[in-house]
Amino acid sequence: MTEHEQAFTIAILSSFTARGVEEAVRLACQESGLPYRTYLGGYNQYGQEILDPQSRLYAFEPLLVILFLDTRSILGDYYFHPYVMSDSDRRQWAENKIQEISSLVEAIKRYSSATVLLHNFEVPVYSPLGILEHKQPFGFKESIELLNAKLRESFKDDFRVFLFDYDAFCANIGKRHILDSKMYYLGDIKLHTRHLPELARAYTAYIKPMLRQTKKCVVLDLDNTVWGGILGEDGIEGITVGPTPGGRPFWEFQKSLLALYHRGVILAVNSKNNFDEVAKVFSQHSYMVLREQHFAAMRINWEDKVANMRSLAKEIGIGLDSMVFIDDDPVNRTMMKEYLPEVMVVDLPNDPSLYVKTLQELDVFNVLQLTEEDWERGLMYVQQRQRKAFEVSATDITEYLLGLQITVVIELATTMTIPRIAQLTQKTNQFNMTTRRYSEDEIRRFSQDGAHLIVSIKASDKFGEHGTIGAAIVETGRKSWRIDTFLLSCRVIGRRIEEALLVYIIEQARTSGVRTIVGEFIPTKKNSPAKDFYKKNGFVCTESVDSGQRWEYDVRVQSYPYPDCITVLTGETPTVWAQTTT
Amino acid sequence: MGANDNINTLHSILSKILGISAQEVTDQTSPDTVPRWDSYNGLMLVSELETQFNVNFTMDEVVAVKNVGDIKASLRKHGIDL
Repeated sequence: MTEHEQAFTIAILSSFTARGVEEAVRLACQESGLPYRTYLGGYNQYGQEILDPQSRLYAFEPLLVILFLDTRSILGDYYFHPYVMSDSDRRQWAENKIQEISSLVEAIKRYSSATVLLHNFEVPVYSPLGILEHKQPFGFKESIELLNAKLRESFKDDFRVFLFDYDAFCANIGKRHILDSKMYYLGDIKLHTRHLPELARAYTAYIKPMLRQTKKCVVLDLDNTVWGGILGEDGIEGITVGPTPGGRPFWEFQKSLLALYHRGVILAVNSKNNFDEVAKVFSQHSYMVLREQHFAAMRINWEDKVANMRSLAKEIGIGLDSMVFIDDDPVNRTMMKEYLPEVMVVDLPNDPSLYVKTLQELDVFNVLQLTEEDWERGLMYVQQRQRKAFEVSATDITEYLLGLQITVVIELATTMTIPRIAQLTQKTNQFNMTTRRYSEDEIRRFSQDGAHLIVSIKASDKFGEHGTIGAAIVETGRKSWRIDTFLLSCRVIGRRIEEALLVYIIEQARTSGVRTIVGEFIPTKKNSPAKDFYKKNGFVCTESVDSGQRWEYDVRVQSYPYPDCITVLTGETPTVWAQTTT
Repeated sequence: MGANDNINTLHSILSKILGISAQEVTDQTSPDTVPRWDSYNGLMLVSELETQFNVNFTMDEVVAVKNVGDIKASLRKHGIDL
């Protein structure tokens, strides 16, 4: 998170009267505590505003542009008599619309740094052909469906464009309730005002991850939350979970939780129970979906849940503000809200049959992109728990690190690793020397400009893969290199992996005949773990002011060995930046 | 709800949407006297009145309203005691 949060600028462009949309967005941002400014495009002026680089839209410097074009506006008269056109004309019409919309989106991308939230189109329920609609070689509804399918296809790999599934949004509300005919005729309002808050809430699911307000971990109570009944009283045979009417809500709730685990959400337990009894349920109950191996950390004891929560956050290494607490007991929930207001507390309904729905409607786990690491994160945190158990048994740190059998792979940025490197610059707070946040585009540009060395580091040990957990961006001059960014994910701090990455940079500099390497440290509220890194590794401080320090390393004088507890593998010899020095 | 409650509800809707205090409201209050009473807020007013009083105005009724007095007349026509 940046130290000074700037207002997030949201522009709303539409083909009809969208004043209500703007107001609802402002309200929803306020409710979620998001810092925002909004801009509402002129009534049906979206085309001019988007295509004119001097327009008020771009003067507003939007970070998010919501483009809400509705089916009736883009259809015009075609809405009423689509079959006046021939099949092939209709197909051509859909192709043309795709072209138009794509060029609008491209213009927004060219003239601003905004991410685009692009509505798709409500597929009409009505057809003038009635029951014969689906007998047409290329039907009216089919043309809108094709439009939607093509939109989805066009922007699948474009991470500056997100599709807002407005058709699904309308279906969810019920398409017959979308339009208030009177308001439509009197004010060209295409969405009934009563649904505006829900629309705005759906938008915030995109806005939150853009502001990095994403929840990472679900902390679960057990009795009457994960299974029905109280283990201490009902015993393993008495609790309900499985294919019975009473057990199915819990069974499916567990399945939904497992789905979150598989997309990278961390699971943890906070329950008042006897550990051994719970362990038996995890290992022996035939219908438990969640097993011990899915939990990154567990507090199963008779301590108070607030204290447990704090220690879970510490063990997992994430902030309380990225945790979600799920407990059926309102007393526990109230206590959590009161003592740890940073934790998101889910108001679980009394009726377990509503658990799955409640969980599925939480839109707080969104990230803008899932990297390979995300898919495996749950597993990686579990391995972390096993490593910690091992740490306790090892007697000193050298023995511990040697026993871990760490292997790192250091490689130059590739199209495969750039998304993860960008994600690391955006998310890493603790071991981050400069906390400079970069987008994927920016990293890609660095990697191609011949003046930067961008490396990432992957690590594994005897317990499993960590994935790509560190990165550095180095500005490569002829005589001196400057380490612009140097960071390491907090889950591997203290294993000398950061040293390996630094040595690699020093070695590359030496090979290129560079004299000095300059490192910076810019303090933030969170990066104190990185403070002494350059000092400990032979750099000399040349400047120190409140806003930061500058450190230098004389490449020619000092050589630097890789830490001996780590096996280092390096990728191919760099070529791009090597050319600038030879 | 009695006539007094209904008047209070009406006034609170007017003040919420048009940003004027309930005391300022008279039968002559109209788009000409209230800056925020534009066509869009006029429609918001309709929407809010329909929800709060559980009535449904026709389009003609909406178009015919020129001031608060007209709103009251329409509400009475729909059986709201004012």
